[in-house]
Amino acid sequence: MQESSTQWLVADFFVQDYRISGRVHVRYHKLAGQLNDQNTSFIQLQEVYISNVQRPADIIANYMDSSLYKRNISAAVVTRREDGMLREHAYGSYLGGYVYKAFIVVPAFEITGYLRLSSKLDMRTVLTTGTDDFVILTDGQMTSSLRPDVTFSGGAILVNKSHIGALCASTAEE
Amino acid sequence: MARILVIDDDSEYLEMINLLLQRAGHQVALSAEGEEGLAMALAETPDLVILDVMMPGVTGYEICRRLRSEPETACVPIIILTARGQPVDRDAALEAGADEYLSKPVTMTELVERVEALLADEAAVKAVPFGGVVVLMSLRGGVGTTTLAVNLAASATQTTQGGVCLVDLCPASGHVALQLGLRPEPNWSDLSRVGEFGAVAIDTYLLKHDSGLHVLASPVFPVRGDESLTRPVVRTALSTLQQRYSTVIVDAPPVLDEAAVAALEAATTVGLVITGESASIQTAVGTLRVLKTWFSKFQIVINQVTPGTMPSSEAIERALKRPVGGVVPFDPAQAQALAQARPLVIGDPDAPMAVAVREMTRVLARCEVSG
Repeated sequence: MQESSTQWLVADFFVQDYRISGRVHVRYHKLAGQLNDQNTSFIQLQEVYISNVQRPADIIANYMDSSLYKRNISAAVVTRREDGMLREHAYGSYLGGYVYKAFIVVPAFEITGYLRLSSKLDMRTVLTTGTDDFVILTDGQMTSSLRPDVTFSGGAILVNKSHIGALCASTAEE
Repeated sequence: MARILVIDDDSEYLEMINLLLQRAGHQVALSAEGEEGLAMALAETPDLVILDVMMPGVTGYEICRRLRSEPETACVPIIILTARGQPVDRDAALEAGADEYLSKPVTMTELVERVEALLADEAAVKAVPFGGVVVLMSLRGGVGTTTLAVNLAASATQTTQGGVCLVDLCPASGHVALQLGLRPEPNWSDLSRVGEFGAVAIDTYLLKHDSGLHVLASPVFPVRGDESLTRPVVRTALSTLQQRYSTVIVDAPPVLDEAAVAALEAATTVGLVITGESASIQTAVGTLRVLKTWFSKFQIVINQVTPGTMPSSEAIERALKRPVGGVVPFDPAQAQALAQARPLVIGDPDAPMAVAVREMTRVLARCEVSG
């Protein structure tokens, strides 16, 4: 039986200098759950389309299957906010009572968006505490450091904590 | 009822769109593969194509470009529907020639609304025998832009209703009037001295040719920069002429001055005239790059001004990434037509160049020409 397309999610992954768009199976785990799953170092994609971030709309290759090494993913962008959330957040609609406007620097990109936390912001807590490797920014935008005209926006951007060179934040009114 | 082709490798989306469009009363053809869908589009020329970008083998962008490069499908409305939904993807889709871009997930209501809107636009365009503002331009001189503009306008005058006005924006010629055997007075140098003008006022500045073609001529003597047409004047003139004529054809200057920019802004279609020589093609590449804001309006017109061989249309399309809207062969009869100040499409309608111009008329402005 063919699987429903609602069990699949298309996301953009940024790995080194490449934009990799592909389908992720999300029937059992939302994207955040998969990226933060410590049991595997890889995330599996199907129908993968690859572009160089300097020419992000030009598809230079496409493949049916791909594995991305999660450690090397700088960020992942999804259109809908709930697609980037953890399952409990996506369905419970509780995203955290504290909202901060954030600015993050990762290699080749600056990323802006909103951090939603269940407690007041403590930078060290956000960047180091817990087992999650990716921090979630909602309503985010990534801008190429070298080409400011190249932007990617989404309802959620998942940023690899180990790639973050700078995290800046201030309280925000939505 | 319209015939709509949907090309998407997501079978669930395909079925969903099929169901909705059939409910809306349309005849739907489906393809889950890019190459197959492209072949179907070229074989059957649908009224509208809905196209996914991310498909194995050939991308939606490539299909879009191929459809735009074929005369039969060059004007078919195309909606690109894709999960790659970033602003850069939208720009790429429009640059490839799509009319609309929708990112998945899209509500089916929105999709059907866009389909109906595009079909309505297309119907409106078809209802006008020859529509809008067609600009012919080349930033390289000597490629025969003025000759083509005169013949295109004469051809449109013969075959359409609603009137045709030919506007000569070149600041150093008056050549349009001369090719029609008209004395270029009055001309737009008089008009540019007037402040605000309307339909009645502009009428007094137009020349009338025996064929029924009306002409806004340029002055016969070159004008200084400070006497050139300004953007607001050209904008107002073209807008006013569009109210009076179903078709306005513009012979654009070979420089990117204010008049040229205003014409490009108003254009429905821009015919970028090139010859086969490498310098002309190189200039066209640069022109398209600089004028990328209007990229989707451009069609290439290949004008063979000298005898000999030419690069193929396919090679030129690959180089310029725009469809070829017309190929006009070298025709020795054109020299005589110029000497007689009588456009070839009028003086010798069976001449190869005249035949090619009539075909170009149909393609550039979606005009069905008899004969």
